[in-house]
Amino acid sequence: MRLRVISPFAMLAWLFFPTIFAVVGLYVLSRPSTASPQLAYAILGGGLVGYWAIAYLDGGLSIQNERWSGTLEQIFAVPTPLWVIVLGKVCGSLLWGLLSFVPTIAVAYFGFHAFLPHIDAGRFAISFAILSLSFLVVAVTLTPLYALWRWALPMLNGFEMGFYILCGFMFPVTVLPAWARGAGGLLAPTWATRAIYASTTNQGPHDFGSWWFASMGLSVVYLVGAVFLYRLVDRRARASGELALA
Amino acid sequence: MAKPVAAAIEVTALRKTYSSVRGTFRRTKVQTVGLAGIDLAIKPGELFGLLGPNGAGKTTTVKILTTLLLPDSGKAKVLGLDVVSQTNAVRRRIGFVFGGERGLYGRLSGINNLRYFADLYRLPPDVSGPRIIELIEKLGLAGREHDKVEVYSRGMKQRLHLARGLLNDPEVLFLDEPTIGLDPVGARELRVLVRELADAGKTIFLTTHYMFEADAICDRIAVIKNGAIVAEGTPASIKRAVENKGVVEVEVEAISADRLAELRRLPEVTSVSVTERELAQVITVRCASPGELMTQLGVILDGIKLQKVSSREPTLEDAYIQLIAESP
Repeated sequence: MRLRVISPFAMLAWLFFPTIFAVVGLYVLSRPSTASPQLAYAILGGGLVGYWAIAYLDGGLSIQNERWSGTLEQIFAVPTPLWVIVLGKVCGSLLWGLLSFVPTIAVAYFGFHAFLPHIDAGRFAISFAILSLSFLVVAVTLTPLYALWRWALPMLNGFEMGFYILCGFMFPVTVLPAWARGAGGLLAPTWATRAIYASTTNQGPHDFGSWWFASMGLSVVYLVGAVFLYRLVDRRARASGELALA
Repeated sequence: MAKPVAAAIEVTALRKTYSSVRGTFRRTKVQTVGLAGIDLAIKPGELFGLLGPNGAGKTTTVKILTTLLLPDSGKAKVLGLDVVSQTNAVRRRIGFVFGGERGLYGRLSGINNLRYFADLYRLPPDVSGPRIIELIEKLGLAGREHDKVEVYSRGMKQRLHLARGLLNDPEVLFLDEPTIGLDPVGARELRVLVRELADAGKTIFLTTHYMFEADAICDRIAVIKNGAIVAEGTPASIKRAVENKGVVEVEVEAISADRLAELRRLPEVTSVSVTERELAQVITVRCASPGELMTQLGVILDGIKLQKVSSREPTLEDAYIQLIAESP
């Protein structure tokens, strides 16, 4: 956490980028004629983008940062398994990522006088918790790739943007073509995001149960994959001897 | 009857080959031998030195023993535990120091670096707290422990590396070229510390290419070249390999490659090395009989301005150079 706080990129991730996204969204969507469900995307979308970016980038970059600082070998050879170390880093990033909602909601309220008139607090809280779990699982699952293959780093930004679009952080996925909706349906955060936005409107019907189940189910599938990836990392990284290579 | 002491480190027929790729479009796979089948046995409490030139296999050996690298074949055991199949058990009982400018979190303070690694070694707070303070005092970091590591000097970083390596009070400590890059005073202080750790009962496996360092502190040494052990024994026994030899040092302004080649062709010459020293070159000739060499030296070096000529007894460095030169 200490390294997150003092990182110069921290300000970019939790303050500047989410605020920019929120301002653009609010400018486009905060018209008197804009229906409340769409306004929710403007108010919460920037925060979700920042929340996701910190969890995902910090998780993936944490291994690359270890490699660049030359500490990857040191943390690899300790009794604590790598997945536990990554889990701790991503949990810390998720806590830090919650800060993204502060500037975005503040900008919405003070800058655009926009607020969510309706919110089902209970369903919102559960959906948000499941979303956080999905972010955690995705970040933990993808991180071993960066320990295993140095070329995985350039793919990092592509995956981040892909999630913004396919999971519907800032707009409903119904506007996407069918093939994109299908791809988004395979991502655990998509269903939790849908449930979050559904809990901010009283227009129904909503199938929270199915969405929660889909998100958690996909998270479990990713975890099974993660077990396999971490074992592969342990074996392949030690066989190739590339841990020390920047 | 006393129970035989098991080896603290035991290596049998250890092999490791690295694969790499050359070329951008026409890619060729290249195999490089890291270890060609080595055997070692180090007793508990021993300070063992592994010497060798760059690329000989020293770091490969250390990385296998510290569970960072998998061997292709052979066996390696630390404290009776297999480094491949009992990885976590080995990791709990060893410490390692690779040193260098990297390997620490520069934007954290020294004490926070140690606290983080203490957590990774699963040390309970009531153990890690006092131990961190003790190590900071012992390693001369007191007063600077709250400064960020990025402002530490090279020597301080090396001491912090050593503190990190000692956090879990390991029974076996691996040091990979621990004094490289340090000033003479800092290096000597570190060597004294390493010797004290060995005297306190820790088994220490040290790699270095500073011969005087191995000679000064190691109980036993092995010389490795091209992935194979070429000599093993106490510093005294290895020096005895060059006992009946001598060393002649000639300081000249400059010497041509042809004359050097002629010098090397002399039958009694074992090896010739040239080092630069300010505005001169020092030719070090290791030979069977310095007296007999002098006459022939005079002929070969005729016309060259000689600044200094001396003869001395061979050191461990001379024995090392001879071993490296003679082995394939």
